[in-house]
Order: sequence, then structure tokens, then C-alpha cells
Amino acid sequence: MLKTIYNKFINLGILPKLLISYLILSIIPLIIVGYIANKNLSDTGLQSVRRAEEMANENLRAAEEIGKTSIADSVQALDRKSTEAIELRTVELASRIADFLYERDRDILILASFDPDHARYFDVYLRSNRDVIITKAGKGAPGNKGKAGELQPKNPENKEAWRHLPPPDFSRVSKPLYIEITFVDLRGQEKIKVVDGKISHKLADVSRKENTYCKAEDYFSHLKYLKKGEIHVSRVIGAYVKGWLYKTPEGIKVKPESAYAGKENPHGKKFEGIVRWATPVYDGNGEKTGYVTMALDHTHIMEFTDHVVPTEERLAVLSDGGSGNYAFIWDNNDRCISHARDFFICGFDPKTGKEVPGWISQKTYGEYTRSGLTLEEFVRKLPSFRNFTQEKPGSIEQMKAGTVPLDCRVLDTAPQCQGWHEGTQYGGSGSFLILWSGLWKLTTYAAIPYYTGPYGKSKRGFGYVTVGANVDDFHKDANITKAKIENSILEEGKGILEANNKTRELISERAAYNRKLITIISLLAGLSVICISVVISFNLTGPLRRLTEGAVAMSKGDLEQAIEVKSKDEIGQLAQSFNEMAKAISIVDKMKSEFVTIASHELRTPIQAMMLGVSGILEGYSGKIDEEVREDLELAKMGIERLMRLVANLLDLSRIEAQKIELNTSHTSVAEIIDRALAEVSDLAHSHRHAIVKDIPADIDGIMVDKDRIIQVMINLLSNSIKYTPDEGKIIVKAGRREKEILFTVADNGYGIPDWAKDEIFKKFFQADSIMSQKVGGSGLGLTITKSLVERHGGYIQCESPVPEEVFSDLPLGGERKGAIFVIHLPVSGISEV
Amino acid sequence: MEIRKILLVDDDKPISSYLEKKFTKLGYTVYVAEDGEDAIKQVFANLPDIILLDVKIPRISGIEVCKRIKKDEKTKNIPVLMLSAKAQTFEINEGLQAGADKYLCKPISFPDILHEIRAYERM
Repeated sequence: MLKTIYNKFINLGILPKLLISYLILSIIPLIIVGYIANKNLSDTGLQSVRRAEEMANENLRAAEEIGKTSIADSVQALDRKSTEAIELRTVELASRIADFLYERDRDILILASFDPDHARYFDVYLRSNRDVIITKAGKGAPGNKGKAGELQPKNPENKEAWRHLPPPDFSRVSKPLYIEITFVDLRGQEKIKVVDGKISHKLADVSRKENTYCKAEDYFSHLKYLKKGEIHVSRVIGAYVKGWLYKTPEGIKVKPESAYAGKENPHGKKFEGIVRWATPVYDGNGEKTGYVTMALDHTHIMEFTDHVVPTEERLAVLSDGGSGNYAFIWDNNDRCISHARDFFICGFDPKTGKEVPGWISQKTYGEYTRSGLTLEEFVRKLPSFRNFTQEKPGSIEQMKAGTVPLDCRVLDTAPQCQGWHEGTQYGGSGSFLILWSGLWKLTTYAAIPYYTGPYGKSKRGFGYVTVGANVDDFHKDANITKAKIENSILEEGKGILEANNKTRELISERAAYNRKLITIISLLAGLSVICISVVISFNLTGPLRRLTEGAVAMSKGDLEQAIEVKSKDEIGQLAQSFNEMAKAISIVDKMKSEFVTIASHELRTPIQAMMLGVSGILEGYSGKIDEEVREDLELAKMGIERLMRLVANLLDLSRIEAQKIELNTSHTSVAEIIDRALAEVSDLAHSHRHAIVKDIPADIDGIMVDKDRIIQVMINLLSNSIKYTPDEGKIIVKAGRREKEILFTVADNGYGIPDWAKDEIFKKFFQADSIMSQKVGGSGLGLTITKSLVERHGGYIQCESPVPEEVFSDLPLGGERKGAIFVIHLPVSGISEV
Repeated sequence: MEIRKILLVDDDKPISSYLEKKFTKLGYTVYVAEDGEDAIKQVFANLPDIILLDVKIPRISGIEVCKRIKKDEKTKNIPVLMLSAKAQTFEINEGLQAGADKYLCKPISFPDILHEIRAYERM
């Protein structure tokens, strides 16, 4: 394969060789290098982009992670701080409530230390006031929204994180602490009664419930067990105020006919309740004379939590039950006693004095309907904190009835109730999170450390304060930051993607540009390589071609050759050498020609003299000669003749070799050539007693040759055959046409030609051997001239010896008659002059 | 035509004297010239019947001599046999173009020369 390619390559001309070599050596590496460089460049570029992208994404991920972590940390920290703050606030609230309640203890003990007296009781009633926040008529809720930036510090060094909230601008009215102050005798008969700002004369027997507040008080039954200084404190008693919630697309709303519900229903009827303090009164003898009671307006307790907002707002005229940010109070039996929505506060039916049963789940309500009990009975008998889960919806029937007081023990739709209950069982405070209505809510609880009377039965004391807050509100800032971070990461990501895409585009643009550039460079290089190759090749082959032409011309005899030389390279030197050689050859050739001419002329003159003398004597022009002299002269004459032929042949040969003979070609009959040649040699043949057989087809074509020269050729061949065949031999002369050639054949049954001599015989002065040449008298130039003349005609000569027997059936061979065949091939149309 | 007077032009003395001796012996009147100038003089002076003219002779070449002979009315009918050692075709052609009636290449035997002369005698 490779060898074939190599052979094909070396057979190409110089131009294709140069072109192929240059293309292989220059352009292919250029293209490969270009391609590799470009590929590396774009690969590296793309790799860098990928790396950049990975790094950027890594950074983004890290940023995201850091953001997440820090936000989570922030959220956690904020939540913890908020939780702590809210917890603290809850504890403070509980503590303040307890303090407030203890103050009431002091009030009643002071009052008990005096003898019962209308004036004194009235005086106490009048002097026991406490501010409550009220809604300004027609003005909505001004609130105390702290507007940061309104007041700025004068000293710039205080500017950092400066905060200022103006004082709450709430409308307040002074409200009597007590709704009622009474003195009750040991049987339960009211003796003194201050109520509604005056001394009442409608004195009732409070041992009977129907005579009490909302027909629900049973305090008197507890009083007889009280010792001196002991205080009975009742539960919160008030008429239950109904309320209805309904769902709207904007959320749950409160029907306007419902109880007061802060912002949600500011004009509703408020829960009006009391908490009654009672302690025995003794006279100067230490005899118990009765009991002093003081009914605290429950508004003052609710006031502690009604305006509390566990957000930046801190306090509000109207709390917002729907917002989830508000504070509640629950009594020691987990009944709601203060709520943003007053219809959630547990109360009594003032007509019956019966407690309105707490709101239960629909499921539990179903149990109730199957129980056959009244709802009051059913709820009373219901085990506390059974299966509490917010997955249960509240009973629709109770909602429809508008009687939905929150009694934590049975409010099985609100698991947080259980949490508060458990958290406050040993007093103290705490908090937990609860997922409420799809929002994480923080709920804090703190037991109200008030342990007077029945409230001393448990560490829970008076009950507990709970504050609810939307967790998300605590870490609002963190969430804003989080959103910002996420957004900026998203933007950053987009930016990175965009930048990378741009870079990618740029790289591929660059790569495409590079490819174009490489292609153009390669094309230009290829073009220049082709041009250079052509130029070099012409520079190289031009002179070479001229040299070849010169050499061909020289071979045809035109020795006056001069190649134009321009370059000084090897080719130039070659041309120079050629010119010098041609010049030298030309000179030598001239000298040779001159020598041959002169020599032949100079030889002929003495030969002429000998010839004249010898021939004249032999013919008797110098007198009669005897036979012996004649024989001797004959020998001399033979020598002279041989010398003559030698001179003639020499001259011929020198001219043939110098290509100086001109062929005088004409259309010649083949038969004529052979006949005339045979005529010339007939005497010689006869003297050797050879038989000559002529074999020429009658219809053979003529041939374009120099007749005399070809006759000479035939004479030469025939003479040779005659001379080199033992006497009485046979010579066959044949002519025939083969394709575009005429073949002249001379065959004999002579001595033949040994193998080694078949090429030698055509060389100058060769004779088969010297003895034979003596015998036959050849010049040694005949075949050389013959061959030259045939070749000059564009033909060639072949020789075969010994003659194969099968070729000529009528040629007797054997012994020394080995035979020889000479065949001359001549083109029919003569030599086409090149 | 009768041939009686032969002009031999040859600078090669031995040859010209041999031929003079032999032709004289055979009864011809023989004139001998050794150069071209002498040859022309003798042609016009002796008006020979045939001329044997060597080509390579001093002063005026045989070619020139032949041309002059053939140019002149008086001498143009005299057969000129050129006899020369110059045997190449172009030399032969040159001689024939100069007007030679026959171009004989040396060496040639005496009988052959005689044969050529006698050929004109028979005409």
C-alpha cells in the first residue's frame, strides 16, 4: 500500500511533488495546530466558564445556605427574644393582676376592721376608682402607634438605633372599682348595700341564689366557714353575652349583633361581670356579726389584658381577636374570664342563673345529642381535656346559638388549652408554639400568683394569663431579610447565568472567528504554497527542461547548445556545466569531424597513387607482366581496396555518429532495394558458391526510406552472411509487413554468432575473430554503420543465432552451420522527424 | 567526338605525372596544370577535349575553375571530370553544381579513369 503510494509519488513531476510535499509539510500541520489551538482555547474557555459557573453556583448555594442558616439563626434568635419578651410581659401581667387582686384583699380586710356603717361603705365606694381606657366617641381607635423618626436625638452620637415611642394617647375614664359593697348578716340578709353610686335600700337575702348577681352567686354558702381575716373570693360571675362568627373570603368576621369584640365589633355589648370578696366582720367582743362583701367590677381585671398587643404596637384601645395577637385570662378552673371577643367569656344565663355550657367540638356535641342529658349536665360530666385536637371543628349548633364560651376543660378543638392547663399546674410561666389555623402561633402562659380563698387550692392561683402571638410577626424583619436574600440570590443566579451565557456566546463567537481565521490563513498559506511551488518548480523545471531540450538537440547532432542561465543555485550550476560541456563537446566534435575529413582526404591521396600504379600494371598499361607478379599485385590491390573501404566507412560512420548525414527519403519499392543489394553482392556470393533465395510477397507496400542508405544496409547484411558462411551455403532474403513495419530478414546457415558476441558485433571494429576477419576481409565497421542507419530511420535491428530449426524449413543446418538471422524493422511511413 | 587533348589539373605531382605518362603512351596529347590559375590559362590557351580536374588545388579551387570554364562560351562544352579525395555528398553536390560533368572519387583505378574518358569518346 505505502509502497504503491511511494511509487506513484516518485513517478510524479517536480511540481506535483513539491505541491504535495509543501501541502503535507505546511498546511496540514497548520490546520492541525490551528484546530488544536482553537479547540484548546474554546475548551479551556468553556471549562473556565463551567468552573466559573460551578463556583458561582457554589457561592450562591453557600450564600443561600448562609442566608438560610443566618435567617434561621436570626429567626430563632428573634423568636427566642420575642418569646422571652412576651413571656416576661405575660408574667408581669399575671403578677400585676395578682397584685391588683391582693390590693382588693387589703381593701376588704380594712373595711372589715371597721364597724359596718353606710357612710363609711359609701365613702370607700366613692374613693375606690381606677381608670379604664375607653373608645373616643366617633373617633375610632387612635392607638399609640410609635412613629419612629418623629423625635430625633440632638447629640448625633445617640443617633445609632435611636428609638422613641410617644406615650399612649388613650382616653381614660375613672371607673369605680366595685359595683357593690355590702354588709350581710350571719343569716345572709343584706344590712348595708352601696350599689351604682348610691346607698341602696333594696336589701336582699343573699343566701338565696336568685337574689344574687345574675342569680348565680353562691358565696354566702362559703362564708360561715371563714375565720377572722379569712377571705372568700368568688369566681367571675356575669351574664353571658352571645356572639356569632361567620366566614367571609377575607376571613372570619363577627356579626354586629354579637357581644363586644374589640376591633371586630367595637359597638357590641360588653361582658359585665363581678368578682366578690367577702370576709367576716367581728364586733368589739370578738363576736362575728356578719360579712362584708365587695363586688369588684370585672372590667378592671379585663382591662389588664384588653389593650395588650404582643407586637410592636404594645397596647391598643381595641384589641383584635381576629389577628391572633391578644391576651386572655383564664380562671383557676380554666374558664375564660377575659378575651378580645367577649362572647368567648364564660358567663351565666341571668334568667336561670345557670352557667352557659362551654363550646365543644362537633364530635363531642354529637355525643351530647345521643346522651339524653341537658347540655349543661353533659358538659359538666364531660371528662377534662379528653382527646383535644384542633383537627376537630367546633359544634355548629352552639355557634348558631351564639353560645360559644371558652371552657378549656371541654374545649376539645383547642389543644393549647391542655398545654396551658398543664403548664400552670405548678404555677409559673412558659410558652409553646402551636400551628393554629395554618399559622405558627406562640402562646405564653403565666399563672396569676393570687392564692386567696378558693384560689389558694392550687398553685395555679387565680388562674392564668395567656398571650397569643403570630410567630411570623416576631421575625418579620428576618423574613423580609430572608426574602431579600432569596431575591438577591435569584437575581445573582440569573446574573451569573446571563454572564456565563454571554461568555459562552463570546467563546463560541471567538472560536468561530478563529476557525474562519484559520481557514483563511490556511487557504492563503495553501495559495502561497501553490504559488511558491509553481515558481520554484518553474525555476527548477524550466532550466531542467531547457537542459533536456538542449541534450536532445545535442543527441540529434546540434551541438551548438547554450542554456540561458539566470540562477546561481544547483540548477544554475548544472546549466552552466551543461553549457561548458556542450561547448567542449562541440569543439571536440568539430575537431573530430575535421580530423576525419582531413584524415580521409589525406589517406585517399596516397591510396590513389597506389591504386593508379597497381591497377595500371595489372591491366597491362605498364607492359606485360608474368603470372606471379600478377598474383602479388592482386594481393596488393585487395589491400588497397580494403583500405579504401575502411576510409569510406570511417567517414560514413563519423558522419552518421555526428548526425551529419541527411536522409534523402522517398517512396521506395521493397523489391528494388533487395534486388539492387543482391546485384551488388552477386559476384561475391558467386565466388563463395552460395545459393541466395529471395522471398518477397508480390503485393508488399513501398516504404519511405533513403533508398541508397537502406540498399547499403542490405548490402552490409548480405556481405556479412556471404562472408561468414562456409562456401556452398544458403542465404535467404525475406521481406514482409507486420503492422506498421516492414521487416527485412537475412538468414544464413553460416558460422553463427556466439551468445557473448550478440551485442559486441554492433560495436566498432569488432569482428567475430581475427582469423575469420582475415578470411572474410571485413572492416569491422559494417554492422555499426548498419545499426546506425536503421536507427536513423526510426527502426531497429535484431539478431538471432543459432537459427532455430523450425524457422526455416529449407535452411540446412548442422555442424558449423549454426546459422544467423538479422531482422531489420523499419516504419512503413518512414521516420517522423522529431 | 574525338578526344585527343587531355588537361590534367592536380597539385599531386606523382599522380599527374603518372597519368601524363600513361595517357601520352596511349596517344593522347596531355597538358598538365598544377594550380587553378595555370589550369584556367591552359584551358583557354590549349582548348583541351576533356579536363580531369582535382578540386583541392592551390590558388583557385577546382570548383572555381570549373565554374569559369562552364561560364565561357568557348570552353563550356569541354567535359569536366572532377577527380577528388573529397567524397562526401555535399562535396560531390558542390562539384556537380559548379558544372562538372562527372565527379570521380579518389581513389580510383587507372582503368576506371580511362573507362570514363573513353565513354566521352564514344559519344
